[in-house]
Amino acid sequence: MFSRILIANRGEVALRIIRACRELGIESVAVYSQADSNASYLHLADERVCIGKAPSVDSYLNIPRIIAAAEIADVEAIHPGYGFLAENAHFVEVCRDCKIEFIGPSLDSMKLLGDKIRAKALAKETGVPTAPDSDGSVETIEEALDIAERIGYPVAIKAAAGGGGRGIRFVHNAASLKSMFNQAQSEAEIAFKDGTLFMEKCIENFRHIEVQLLGDRHGNVVHLYERDCSVQRRQQKVIEETPAPRLDEGLRKEICDAAVRLAAACGYYSAGTVEFMLDEENNFYFLEVNTRIQVEHPVTEMVTGIDLVKWQLRVAAGEKLPFTQDDITTRGAAIECRINAEDPANNFRPSPGEVRAFVAPGGFGVRWDSHVYQGYNIPPTYDSLVGKLIVHKPTRHEAIATTKRALDEFVIEPTKTTIPLCRRILSEQKFVAGQWDTKYIEREMMDE
Amino acid sequence: MDIKEIRRLVKLMIDNDLTEMNIVDGDQKISLKKGPNDREQGRVIVDPVIVPAAGPVVATSSAAPANGAEQKNVVDEPESDLIEITSPMVGTFYSSSSPDSDAYVSIGDTVGDETVVCIVEAMKVMNEIKAECSGRIAEICVRNAQPVEFGQVLFRLTSD
Repeated sequence: MFSRILIANRGEVALRIIRACRELGIESVAVYSQADSNASYLHLADERVCIGKAPSVDSYLNIPRIIAAAEIADVEAIHPGYGFLAENAHFVEVCRDCKIEFIGPSLDSMKLLGDKIRAKALAKETGVPTAPDSDGSVETIEEALDIAERIGYPVAIKAAAGGGGRGIRFVHNAASLKSMFNQAQSEAEIAFKDGTLFMEKCIENFRHIEVQLLGDRHGNVVHLYERDCSVQRRQQKVIEETPAPRLDEGLRKEICDAAVRLAAACGYYSAGTVEFMLDEENNFYFLEVNTRIQVEHPVTEMVTGIDLVKWQLRVAAGEKLPFTQDDITTRGAAIECRINAEDPANNFRPSPGEVRAFVAPGGFGVRWDSHVYQGYNIPPTYDSLVGKLIVHKPTRHEAIATTKRALDEFVIEPTKTTIPLCRRILSEQKFVAGQWDTKYIEREMMDE
Repeated sequence: MDIKEIRRLVKLMIDNDLTEMNIVDGDQKISLKKGPNDREQGRVIVDPVIVPAAGPVVATSSAAPANGAEQKNVVDEPESDLIEITSPMVGTFYSSSSPDSDAYVSIGDTVGDETVVCIVEAMKVMNEIKAECSGRIAEICVRNAQPVEFGQVLFRLTSD
C-alpha cells in the first residue's frame, strides 16, 4: 500500500479522498490554489502545498505545478478525483514518466474510452447495443447530410473528444444541420483541442442508466449494479438513485453484463462507469464511459457497502479484488441530491461568497459529503457544488420521504442553493412513479 | 541518513511536540530544531545539519548559518516597509546556480527588476527567478535546497 499520495483536486472530492487515506493509514498531501487557502478540509491532510493562483489553469489544471508538488512532497501516487485532470491522458503519461502512480485506469484504456468514436467501435465489437451512427468521424457537411438522411432526424452531432454532456448539438432537419455543423467543429476545437465530430441518432426521452465498474490489475472486473441519473437539468445531473426504478431484473442483468464485457475487452481497471440511454421501449444504447470515480459514487457505496475510493487506492497499489460478481449484493435504495450554490429562482445564477449560517441534516440513513461549513467562503472560480446529500433506506418510498425530511433540515444562509429544486422534484408525481426522463425538467418544469 | 529518514524524524518531533532533537548514529550526527513560529499545523520548519564526525568540527547549536537566514517557511505579516519576493512556482529553492557557485544575492545587496535572485527547480528544470522589484535584501527567508510552494515568501527587501 502507498505510504503517501497527493490529491490533485479540491473541495468535496478532495475531502472524500483524504478520508479514505486516513482510514487506510496513507499520508495525504493536498494541493490548493490561493482561492482555497482557508478551506478547513486542508487541515485534515498531512501536508498542504499551494500551487498557484485561483484560476484552474494556474492551479488544479496545471500539470507542471502539480507534478512539482508531488516531487517536493515525495509522494508515490496521485489521485485525480473527478473533473480537472482525472481523464487527461497526457497527465497520466507525465505521471508515468515521473515514476508516480496514477490512481485510475491504464493510459491505453483511458485513451481508447476517451475517444467516443473508438469507444463506440469497441461497444459494437463486444455486442453492446449502440444507437445508429455515422460509424466513424464526419468531416464535411455533405457527409453529415448523407448520414443524417440514413439514420434519420433528429440527430446529435457530438465531439469525439467531448464527454460529460458537453460538445453535443441536436439537429432536427437538414437546414439546421447545414448551419450548425461548422460551428460544432470549431466549438469542439476550442473546448477539447480536437474538432473531430461524429453523429448519432437522437434517442428521444431516454432515461440515463449507468453501471458502476471496479477492476483490478489482475484482470478481474466486476459491476456494482446500476444508477439511474435521469433527473438532469441541461445535461447536468441533479438527482441520482439506485436501484433504477421500474427496471426488470432481466434487463438490469443485461445492461450490467454489457458494461462488464466492454470493460474487460479493454483491460479496464480501477473505478469507472459505463453510461447508457434507455428508451421508452426499454432498448438500451451505449452512451459513453467515464474513466474516473464519479460524483454520485456514494449512491452505489450505500447499497453495496463497498468503499469505492478505498478500492481505487488498493487497486492502484496492486491488490487483487477479493470478491467475485456473485459476492456483490445490494440492499435497499439510495438517493443522492447534488446541492449547488445556484439560485433556481434566478435562472440558476451562481451564489458564491460566505456561508454565514450552516447546519447539515443528520439521522438514520443520512450521509452528507461536503467540504462546506459555517464561515466557509465559496469561491466563484470553480464548480458550484456545495455538497451531496445521500439517503439510504430499505425502500425507495422511504428514501424519498427521508430525503425530503433531510432537505428540510438544511440551514444554508445567505447562499442560494438548489435545495428547493430538489425538494420540488421529489414531490413530482412522475418522479415518485419512476417515470422520469432526461428532458423532463426542460419539458415540464420550464418555469424553473 | 537520507531525506526519507529526516522526514520521519520531523514527523516524530511534530507528533511529540518537540522543539529540538539531536541524534548520534554511528559516525553520523543530526541536529533538528523547530522554527519559532508555525502558523500552519503540521507543517513545521526544519533545518537539518548533518555533521559527519570525521569532517570539520561544527557545533551542533550553530544550525543557523552566518548570513542569518531565517528558518521560516510560513508567510508572516510583512512589516510595512518591506517588499516581498514570493515564489512564482512550486519546487526547490536554490540560492546559487550550482553547489560551487556563490549565492546570487546576500543580505545587503541591492537588486533591480532584472536581477536574478535565486533558482526554483521544478521537474528537473532550473528556473531563474528575477526580483521584479527594486530594493535592498533585508532577509533571506528560505534555505538552500528547501522545498517551496507557490506564493511562499523567499526574500524581504527594504525599498531604497
